[in-house]
Amino acid sequence: MFDSYLIREDSLENFVCPESGKVLGFKFAVRIADYRGCILSLHNGYYITVDGVEYPRELQRFQVNGKAPRDFEEIKKCVWEHWNYDDEAYVYVEKEGGLEPGVHHIGLMQSVLAQYGYAPHDEEWIKNPPVPGKGAGAGKTQFVCYYDLELQK
Amino acid sequence: MGIKRGVSLYSYQQTQFFRQMTWKDQIVEVHDNLKTDGIEIIDQTVIRDYPFPSDAFVYEWNNFMARYNMKAVTQDIYLDTMQFRDHVMNHEEAALRLKTDIKLAAALGFQNVRCLCAIPIDVIEMALPTAEKYNVRIGKEIHAPFPIKSKGRENVQPAHGMMINVHMCEEIMELADRTGSKHVGLVPDFGIFQFRPSDVAVAYTKRHVNSPDAVDFVLENNAIYSEEEMQKLVDEKFPGNGFTPMTVHGLMLHKSSAEPEDLREIVPYIVSMHGKFYHMTEIPGEPGHYEDASINYADPIRILNEEGFTGYIDSEYEGQRHQQDRGMAYLPNEVEEVRRHHEMLQRLFDATPNKADK
Repeated sequence: MFDSYLIREDSLENFVCPESGKVLGFKFAVRIADYRGCILSLHNGYYITVDGVEYPRELQRFQVNGKAPRDFEEIKKCVWEHWNYDDEAYVYVEKEGGLEPGVHHIGLMQSVLAQYGYAPHDEEWIKNPPVPGKGAGAGKTQFVCYYDLELQK
Repeated sequence: MGIKRGVSLYSYQQTQFFRQMTWKDQIVEVHDNLKTDGIEIIDQTVIRDYPFPSDAFVYEWNNFMARYNMKAVTQDIYLDTMQFRDHVMNHEEAALRLKTDIKLAAALGFQNVRCLCAIPIDVIEMALPTAEKYNVRIGKEIHAPFPIKSKGRENVQPAHGMMINVHMCEEIMELADRTGSKHVGLVPDFGIFQFRPSDVAVAYTKRHVNSPDAVDFVLENNAIYSEEEMQKLVDEKFPGNGFTPMTVHGLMLHKSSAEPEDLREIVPYIVSMHGKFYHMTEIPGEPGHYEDASINYADPIRILNEEGFTGYIDSEYEGQRHQQDRGMAYLPNEVEEVRRHHEMLQRLFDATPNKADK
């Protein structure tokens, strides 16, 4: 669901280190791929490709609720925090030098481990959470959505 | 008396997503244009900062509902078993979440909470004293593909998704009878009377596979073959069809998961109902009259009238998710869909006498 609308189309930007001014990567604004918000700890990261290059969860941070961007190991501990349905969040992706100016082809699949009760995979996913992009834990949009986005300055 | 009309604000999820209507605008729509008072919510869609909303939110909600003289019918609640991430929630923890949700529902004036099919019966029993204390009924949803009655069938563990406990309704009725509690019951969803895939779901599937003909083939033959046989057949007949592992599954529906007649026995246990629908189209030859051509509403509503059901049926529009893969111009109008659904509901309510009126 919300296939075409999970990333805000005018939100792709590079981000810089406030001290050095060096470009550290890129970021874009996302909405939840579900009809409800989620307990933040259940957010398990994204499958992200930009122009065919994959940027795994380890390179991603998530900015929500007015806090500084957090990596997904930290997000996992936020068991009493909520990503509200109405709210946009930012995904930060580490990439030295950021993206080149122009239009980029971005693939995105969210992995949020929200559920409708007990499921056969529960124990397995506690030990080995699914790697985003495999469809498991992808909630209501179980495939990669593609967006052509122009880098904003 | 008679059956009452309500709306689950779930129906306006897309409008809310695009910030075209807030929950307040949605309530005003129900009040002003649908001329009714029943409101159902998804907790995590409406309640900001769930599960600990601010006092200001709770006050604003109650104030707004009171100002429009609305009824908070049912709050839909969930169970995220992996919330703690370092272990799977045990049943005591699951019951604690249910109790927290019951208290929250009470604070927002709701009469009922809707819990899901996969919530174990012992979890519900553990939370029952809290439901009694706060005077909030726990209604377990009967969602497709669950049946109402087991009729000698065995539980089913499908390849995709949760186990189908065919005794679910019987367990709830047994719990209510054994404890004598009026605070546990059922929330049947009209999706259990859906007998074929909706046209909007089929159109979506056709836009995303390589062989739209293969989609038609499955629809034409889904009563003859099992899902497994069908998967093999379409792969043989339509190589490179572009189906995902879920495509065939989504097209196999040819028979509703429950029979309308089975409602009779559970009517005393119904706390409210979900009026699931996907697409309201004008009935040929009946201008201004609408139907969802994939779901049987007429027979269940006739039976509910015969049994004297006077609770709420809350519209639950779900067709939007099949139409969000293209530009804004293709997005459906949720407000109009729900208005049409209410035309149908009221017409069917009025079509036969309700036993409670006698």
